[in-house]
Amino acid sequence: MYSWLWRKLPGNKFLKVVQAVVLTAGALAAMYFFLFPWLDVVIFPELETEI
Amino acid sequence: MSDIQVLADGTRIIWAPIQKRRPFAFLTQLLGEILVTLGVILMLFVGYKTFLQDNIVGSSHSDLAQKFTERDGFVDPALVTQEAEIFARMYVPRFGAQWTRLVAEGTRWHPVLNEIGIGHYRNTAMPGEVGNFAIAGHRGGFGGAMKDIDKLVTGDRVYIETKNTWFIYTFLETEVVKPTEVGVILPVPEKLDVARPGGRYLTMTSCTPIFINTDRIISWFELERTWPTSAGMPRDLKIVRGSR
Repeated sequence: MYSWLWRKLPGNKFLKVVQAVVLTAGALAAMYFFLFPWLDVVIFPELETEI
Repeated sequence: MSDIQVLADGTRIIWAPIQKRRPFAFLTQLLGEILVTLGVILMLFVGYKTFLQDNIVGSSHSDLAQKFTERDGFVDPALVTQEAEIFARMYVPRFGAQWTRLVAEGTRWHPVLNEIGIGHYRNTAMPGEVGNFAIAGHRGGFGGAMKDIDKLVTGDRVYIETKNTWFIYTFLETEVVKPTEVGVILPVPEKLDVARPGGRYLTMTSCTPIFINTDRIISWFELERTWPTSAGMPRDLKIVRGSR
């Protein structure tokens, strides 16, 4: 999966690294702003007895 | 190209070349990468819960408390009926010189502990009353309002600001109990050695050990004095918070 992605990225090695960093940052942002807040409610519905 | 190895007795071992494409190699690699990725995402999620969400929610509760003004108006404790009605603001210098949280009716996660910060056990006494003003807050996560409850020592004070009166409580003792030992918030609290009928107590309850939450940590306070809201913030608290 990752090696396939690496081959698909255009440009020389430097450009590939830059693109990989940008993609990773995008994925992290998507996780922190959308995935995790949603996941939180799914995994931890209200536990009445725990504070 | 195959490798031929000749042993001492003349036996020849012919090593077959490693197959370039094993069946399913592509699929197993893909599966492995997906699983490793999911593992990393779960670890990131733990980091999010433990640090980021805790800080975000904590500062939003703090902001909420600091920006709450006379205009918003505290509900008179005697008139509180609905869940999540905000009737007090609380200051605990031991939790931080600038530490402040709002106190609302009820102890459910939503809409009180997660959205506002500190919750008041329904049907327990209100601030200053004879009996037990019992409150709850998260220990870790969701702002961890009572994160430092285990750091309280003799001489520590809690300042409760309500519509007309400040109630200043002084620390008595801390006890760790099982979640089933609910007698700790009775008007004459069980387990509190110095408890006596007619006392005016404040009980803080939270989870312990932090992030494990198998037990409950209980801190008791006793009413020391009151102060009219019209006279402004009590002087000793003003000094702790550095003017304003």
